[in-house]
Amino acid sequence: MPMAKRDVHQGTLALMVLKTLDVLGPLHGYGIARRIEQISGDLLAVNQGTLYPVLLKLEHEDAIASDWGTSDNNRRARFYRLTAAGRRRLRTETQEWAQTTALMDRFITVKAEDLA
Amino acid sequence: MKALRRFARRLVASALGHRDDDRVREELTEHLALLTDEYVRAGVPLEEARRRARLKVGAIDATTEAHRDEQRLRWLEDLGSDLRYGLRTLRRTPGFTVIAIVTLALGIGANTAVFSLLNSLVLRPLPVRDPDRLALIANGAWSYPLWEQIKARENELFDGALAWSAQRFDLSEGGLAAPVDGAYVSGRFFDVLGVSAERGRTLTPADDSASAPDGPVAVISHRYWRAHFGGAEDVIGRRITVQRVPFTVIGVMPAAFFGVDVGQTTDVMMPIAAAPIIQGSDGVLRDADSWWLEILVRLKPRQDLAQATNALRGVEPQIQAALVTRRVMDPLTLVPAAAGKSDLRTTFETPLVAMVVAVGLVLLVACANVAGLAFERAVARRHELGVRLALGGSRARLARLVFSESLIVAVTGAMLGLAFAVWSSALLVQRLNTWRNTISLDLGIDWRVLTFTTMLACVSAVVAGLAPVLGVKRVAPSEALRNAGRTITGDRRFIVRGTLVVAQIAVSLVLVTAAGLFLRTFASLNQLPLGFAPAPLLLAELDLRRTPSEARGPLVERLRDAVTTIPGVNAVAVSTVQPLTGGGWGDRQVVIGDGPMGRYDRSRPILWMNATTPGWFRTMGMAMKKGRDFETGDRVGGVPVAIVNEAFVRQYLSGHDAIGQTVRLGFDAQTRREIIGVVSDAVYTSPRDGMTATMYVPMAQQVPDGLSVAVLTLDVARSQHATAERDIAAALLRVDPAVEFTFRTFDQLVDATVTQERLVAMLSGFFGAFALLLASIGLYGIVAQAVRARRAEIGLRMALGAQPAGIMRLVFHRIGVLIAVGLAIGLGISLWAARFVAPLLFHVEARDPATFITAAATLVAVGALAVWVPARRAARLDPATVLREG
Repeated sequence: MPMAKRDVHQGTLALMVLKTLDVLGPLHGYGIARRIEQISGDLLAVNQGTLYPVLLKLEHEDAIASDWGTSDNNRRARFYRLTAAGRRRLRTETQEWAQTTALMDRFITVKAEDLA
Repeated sequence: MKALRRFARRLVASALGHRDDDRVREELTEHLALLTDEYVRAGVPLEEARRRARLKVGAIDATTEAHRDEQRLRWLEDLGSDLRYGLRTLRRTPGFTVIAIVTLALGIGANTAVFSLLNSLVLRPLPVRDPDRLALIANGAWSYPLWEQIKARENELFDGALAWSAQRFDLSEGGLAAPVDGAYVSGRFFDVLGVSAERGRTLTPADDSASAPDGPVAVISHRYWRAHFGGAEDVIGRRITVQRVPFTVIGVMPAAFFGVDVGQTTDVMMPIAAAPIIQGSDGVLRDADSWWLEILVRLKPRQDLAQATNALRGVEPQIQAALVTRRVMDPLTLVPAAAGKSDLRTTFETPLVAMVVAVGLVLLVACANVAGLAFERAVARRHELGVRLALGGSRARLARLVFSESLIVAVTGAMLGLAFAVWSSALLVQRLNTWRNTISLDLGIDWRVLTFTTMLACVSAVVAGLAPVLGVKRVAPSEALRNAGRTITGDRRFIVRGTLVVAQIAVSLVLVTAAGLFLRTFASLNQLPLGFAPAPLLLAELDLRRTPSEARGPLVERLRDAVTTIPGVNAVAVSTVQPLTGGGWGDRQVVIGDGPMGRYDRSRPILWMNATTPGWFRTMGMAMKKGRDFETGDRVGGVPVAIVNEAFVRQYLSGHDAIGQTVRLGFDAQTRREIIGVVSDAVYTSPRDGMTATMYVPMAQQVPDGLSVAVLTLDVARSQHATAERDIAAALLRVDPAVEFTFRTFDQLVDATVTQERLVAMLSGFFGAFALLLASIGLYGIVAQAVRARRAEIGLRMALGAQPAGIMRLVFHRIGVLIAVGLAIGLGISLWAARFVAPLLFHVEARDPATFITAAATLVAVGALAVWVPARRAARLDPATVLREG
């Protein structure tokens, strides 16, 4: 039995979407989902039911914008791209995330002698 | 901000019904296709690839719906469908719907009516420019010389000032007076207020001067223009007669402008400079002891009340120095006057607040009733609600479904209530009218009233909707799905409704007790002794201001002689003051014998005065206790004489013998009047003030200048008042075709002294009765329901030999507990609340035991009746029928 794939934590998906769009440029929904799965080394399963609401939410919050375009295999698809506001948001959220993980790291790795 | 923008976008999406479900569906389909392609490329067979892709993407419909929720206001759309559903269920039970709506409409309507009175009397600012910057010079009226001093400094101290004096003017051409509310106003009155005329122009400082370029001019109200001139286009330049003096109409005010006296519409406004023309002498403008003007100032921008008051006090010494007066002014103080000035407000503010509370309690009782009914409905719908729960409806959603009904009822009730309020508040205002005041209040529905009513609707919906929602909370799907055949009524159901009934009884007791206290106050005021026999007396007030002062005395004598011979008139006497008008003629500086006059002191009591002709006491039905009445010989040139009442003897002579003592008064310090008689006490200002010290002087010795009004007191049998009035009018006009007079009876005068108490008694009586009715309906409802639910049990008991009386006792016992608890709580609240109504009571203790007991007894009696009807029905059940049913 392969290792169970983890679901994406609520709230982190938005950050992943923003980062993916930042690194790879405009992408369609399917592409975003695939990239996130690939980057995570297929450890994450992106539920489509959560991805599209997140995309919509981000669009409503003006972090991303979308246009119709043509995908690699000549299908009509909606392409999402990062806006200036989205880029700002990515920057602040990345920082916050880094701080949080650093903090959590220190807590998790703490040993009794460190506190003595 | 962002959240707000998102909310707006969702709202728009919901409102427009705009759906981009298609877009999501399309994208998901696309996604599915791409995924399938990828699996195929990886070597999975097409069918299997499709299956796996579908598994991974999940149900397209569910995602689309999730997306729809994200995009739109789900609750708003649900609310819409809840409301539609609520409407449908309400339509199915018209009986409940009508009762609930009417109950709430009356409750909310009565609240709105009382509130809109309070609003227009106390809260609403004047319809003028920046009303917040207006301030009134507090406590009382001021003389014209003082106003001149303020006027000279109006721009230095403030952003302008204005003075006015509200008056009743006779606008008739002759004969019977046609009194109209009017005012003398300063030249910049309209300018400082910041209002302009709808037609023509307003007054200018030039109009308010001795050399007015356009002669005597007047501005009239919109209402008077419509009523008197029929809204004629050419009204500007037309003539009106004010106290028989012709004035030219120069302007018509806008409909919203009623003056600065809240509670009346100032129909005609003339410059202060016109007062001498109307009064026939300019004494009133010269006399610094004639206090008749009210003064409003407009604060400068950023000037606050304290600064303005300080500025005013800074110049007070100079003002005082410039005035020739015996009155030392208190420090002048400014009070906020954004809502204008109102005598009516002073009288009615406290009672109105009390009524707002009372009527609020009535609404609570009404809500409790509707809550009881709605609860019963919710319980009856347990089955349906259980099915909904079983099918996956959330409890919150279900509660909302039930709540939407009470919301519909409350909102509909509020709308009907608003209509009821418009009608009933106008009726209330009408009830405030007396012979003296024509009350006119702008009762228009403004945002305050609307907010208030909306709030009431929401509160009603919550209060009335809470009980059924609680009922729903307890529904279990399994319970409901079971076949609801004969169920045993749980006590819980009785507890919810029982609590409501206890609350209703408690609140009703409070209201009925209050009503009892107010009714007793009104009754005790009406029973106060007047000191004279009012029934057969008819009064004809003669306005002498148009007659040259030296001709007034003889004219009054000729008029009196003309009416003595009229059949039906048993006696006629004349006085200069009409009692029971709340005021009159008097002085605070009273010296017996040779004492020093002392300074004028406002804290001293007033000695009231009246000038009468011989026989006045007899006509009034007052008894001479000592000495003699005035005689025809008591004239100018003779020894100045006076008659005092017993209260005078008590107050100023400590009960010593009055006859032969002399009295001097501040306004006429040279005259030493000799007391020649003592007369029985009679009410002078108002029955409420009791028997005040009063001194009478002969009219023939009265300085003619002060004789502007004379009152013919006629002894005419009450049944002949109508014919006598006609004959008297004819006789008076024969003597002097220009004579001006008004008929009155003491009933009207007494009535006017208790307007406030009558209104409070009437309203609280009405509210008390309404609450009582609602509470009895509530009681009836719960008993009828309990009896219905326990039919089987009662039938069984009867089959086993219980007597009808026993069944009655069973029902009464259970309800009796509720009534007793309700009464106990109500009594507690009443005792606690008594101190708040104490200021409104007269000659009744706030915790008057008799009233409390009567109120409780009334409630018990009404309650017993409400219980008796269904209990009797229970006792008459035919056991055989009941048992066969089950």
